[in-house]
Amino acid sequence: MNFLGYQRPDGSAGIRNHVLVIPGGFLAAKIGESVAGVRTIVTSDSGSGRTGRDRETIARTLIGLGRNPNVASVIVHPLSPGAGYPELKPARLAEEIAGSGKRVELIDVAEEGSTYRALEKGVNLAREMVLEASRLRRQPFDLSHLTVGVKCGHSDPTSGIAGNPVNGNLFDRIVAAGGTALFGETTEIIGAEHVLSRRGINKAVSRGILEAAAETEERAKATGEDIRTINPVPSNIAAGISTLEEKSLGAIHKSGSAPIQGVLKYGERPQGKGLYFVDNWMSMGSIFAGYAAAGAQLVIFQLGGGGWRGGDILPTSTAVVAPLMWTTANPKTLSHFPTGIDFYSGTVIEGKDTIAKSGEKLLQKVLDIASGTFTRVETIKHTDPTQIYLKDPCF
Amino acid sequence: MASRGALMLSDKDNVATGLEDIEAGTEVSVRLGKEVREVRALEKIPFGFKIAVVSIAKGAEVMKYGEPIGIASRDIKQGEMVHIHNLEGARGRGDIARGGSR
Repeated sequence: MNFLGYQRPDGSAGIRNHVLVIPGGFLAAKIGESVAGVRTIVTSDSGSGRTGRDRETIARTLIGLGRNPNVASVIVHPLSPGAGYPELKPARLAEEIAGSGKRVELIDVAEEGSTYRALEKGVNLAREMVLEASRLRRQPFDLSHLTVGVKCGHSDPTSGIAGNPVNGNLFDRIVAAGGTALFGETTEIIGAEHVLSRRGINKAVSRGILEAAAETEERAKATGEDIRTINPVPSNIAAGISTLEEKSLGAIHKSGSAPIQGVLKYGERPQGKGLYFVDNWMSMGSIFAGYAAAGAQLVIFQLGGGGWRGGDILPTSTAVVAPLMWTTANPKTLSHFPTGIDFYSGTVIEGKDTIAKSGEKLLQKVLDIASGTFTRVETIKHTDPTQIYLKDPCF
Repeated sequence: MASRGALMLSDKDNVATGLEDIEAGTEVSVRLGKEVREVRALEKIPFGFKIAVVSIAKGAEVMKYGEPIGIASRDIKQGEMVHIHNLEGARGRGDIARGGSR
């Protein structure tokens, strides 16, 4: 079970081969528009007026995206107005990314004398770096080099019965082969945390899972609202999910059955291989960039979709440097998004496949995408904004 | 398409998930592993929604996946649909924490 990837200096394997410009903003956007093969992040999270903890989360996310194996090389430019904070100084971001051994270039607008002169330098650098990256050739890597992150969303009863269990089976296979799998969405373990915590490899991990759920539930209660008016979201309720507990008990099936090695913060890189729980927020605008910053080369959106009332174009990746794959077990969802769904596990409900058989097919699809085949939404040229998961109030 | 009925996920469950649109008055085949039992649907139950496989008293836990998914907010008859009109969540209830009423 191998995939074809790009060897990076730190021993990791990219499944894509991007040049990344960070942080977001004018320079990044203009370089991205001008040079093929460049990725940038679009976000309003500059760090300004944010606590030290939140600024560190922003820095961890940017550094993590730069270190992601899908990135061949990185250009760092000054972030305004966040650059004044020590956590977000361009030199710090560049140094930590360069620790992975990949090429990192720093553009200093002040030194260049003007933004447009800095842009000229950036465009020329990016073109040279893209050319350099294009000389790399894919080679075989085993699954111990793969990290995949999942979220389930617009969940409906097909999610808990088939879509999530099939993803869980995929995760079991990846973990058994020495790879790494990430799942999270802390709100959506409330009501199921006691089941999940039993799978911690030790007491500290089990306690960490319970504490993450408790902290999130306390914040929910502090709003004075019934969480059912917030989450499950209306599309979940329209599809037959009645309570947060019901949603959570279905959602945890996406994690499979492997022991949980640790509880990670948003964007935090796991210290080892295996399955990890990430204390993050379910929004697709947020969660995927966090997985990519933690090192995921591929992210999966396991879609219910029974209550979907939107258009037929599925959102593109907010993982910035990692392709997004869409799966569903709902036949109506499959026919609603003929150009969006990469994998259908509704055959389990139709009695044509077991969960294990469908999981095996999903793994083949993942290996195919990891080896270079585009996901369906990867063919759309559009960057949705990223909302970095910040926990503190702003000032 | 052959009747798919409804699916129970644990023997502790008192609801099953409809795997097809179920009309009122239908005898629904409720599967739990290899066991099958018949429950008459008292009302229309759309695909993916829940049917009570036994009567559930107000205040009792509603069970799915072998775990509580909330509390019955009124008496539920066998064969009735179970959703937000007769099932409340017990978690994340900021409205109750602040002394609000159910």
